[in-house]
Amino acid sequence: MMAATLCGKLLPKQGWLPVTQSVRHGSKAVTRHRKPIHILKQKLLAVTKYVPPTPVVPKGAYPSERQEVKEESGFVLLLKRELKKLFQDYKMVAVAQNCNSNAEDMRILKHRLHRHGIAVKFFPNQVMCSFLSDSVYSNMAPLFIGPTVLFVSKEPKVKEMLTSLRSSPQMTLLGACIDNTLLSAQGVVSYSKLPSVSVVQGELVSGLAMMTAHTASMLQRHPAHLSALLQQYVKQQSSEEAPKAEEAT
Amino acid sequence: MAASSKSAVVLKAVKKIAVQFCPFESNVRSTREFLLFVGSEKARSTNMNCEVITTVKHDKSEPVVDVTFVDGERLLMKGAKLTTREMLSAFQSRCTAKDPQAKAGVKK
Repeated sequence: MMAATLCGKLLPKQGWLPVTQSVRHGSKAVTRHRKPIHILKQKLLAVTKYVPPTPVVPKGAYPSERQEVKEESGFVLLLKRELKKLFQDYKMVAVAQNCNSNAEDMRILKHRLHRHGIAVKFFPNQVMCSFLSDSVYSNMAPLFIGPTVLFVSKEPKVKEMLTSLRSSPQMTLLGACIDNTLLSAQGVVSYSKLPSVSVVQGELVSGLAMMTAHTASMLQRHPAHLSALLQQYVKQQSSEEAPKAEEAT
Repeated sequence: MAASSKSAVVLKAVKKIAVQFCPFESNVRSTREFLLFVGSEKARSTNMNCEVITTVKHDKSEPVVDVTFVDGERLLMKGAKLTTREMLSAFQSRCTAKDPQAKAGVKK
């Protein structure tokens, strides 16, 4: 730039060019401090400044209509898969709340339950609730508040579990899901008092057999006995109907 | 929660605490949290003789906390519409009211 202005004056003789030429001497564009902006540029910037539109309703006054869908992290998905497997494999899933049990108590309890084949599991409540609300077992969701422990076993060994829990005073049994049926604490206690399936089946069979055996024995007797019995029965029926008819009228 | 953990629960004047609730109801949260506070190690270490009995029911009844003090007074808290803080503050105020009396009486 300077070289161009020099041409007019400092070239007395033709073909003479200065040895050194200073280019851009003076104020720099890129400075280390904040260079004061030219007044015209300042005015332009002030006029064209961005003014955002003011919202009619201040932020946070109403809840947002769109619900933020948070993607679940890999750990949460892993836990959910485990829970799904848990509910499929294990027949008995019991929920208890432990106020305060130190590591020693937990160790003893785990050992006692392991002897009967009951496993002790811990899951975060949030994951548990979200899993349960999607699955069939949604009615179990209100149980999971505060520090909860899951006792799971493949065979429903309720009596042993109750005896081990009675020895640790700080565990409170809240409910259980046995064979896809939700039971309360009292339901669990009554379930433990039930006799086993084979015993119940035997009782049922014997009861039915008794009825048929009774009928068979009655038929095997003399038919006169049977006819006498039937006549008596008819008399009783008619005598019952007569007073009933009298009461009605 | 931070406000209630500042002053630990002192159970010296308490004889028995009976908590009953139905876990399938939705108004049970405050009672359960109260139980956690009262049944914690810190609280129980202040008085080893105090019994904390929990009853789990299933009859849609209201959650109730029944506290029996050493001098025979009973505090009944129906936790259906109370928050944990309210329950704890009421309980703690009564405990501290009874406790310094006993301590001051002993010192004198």
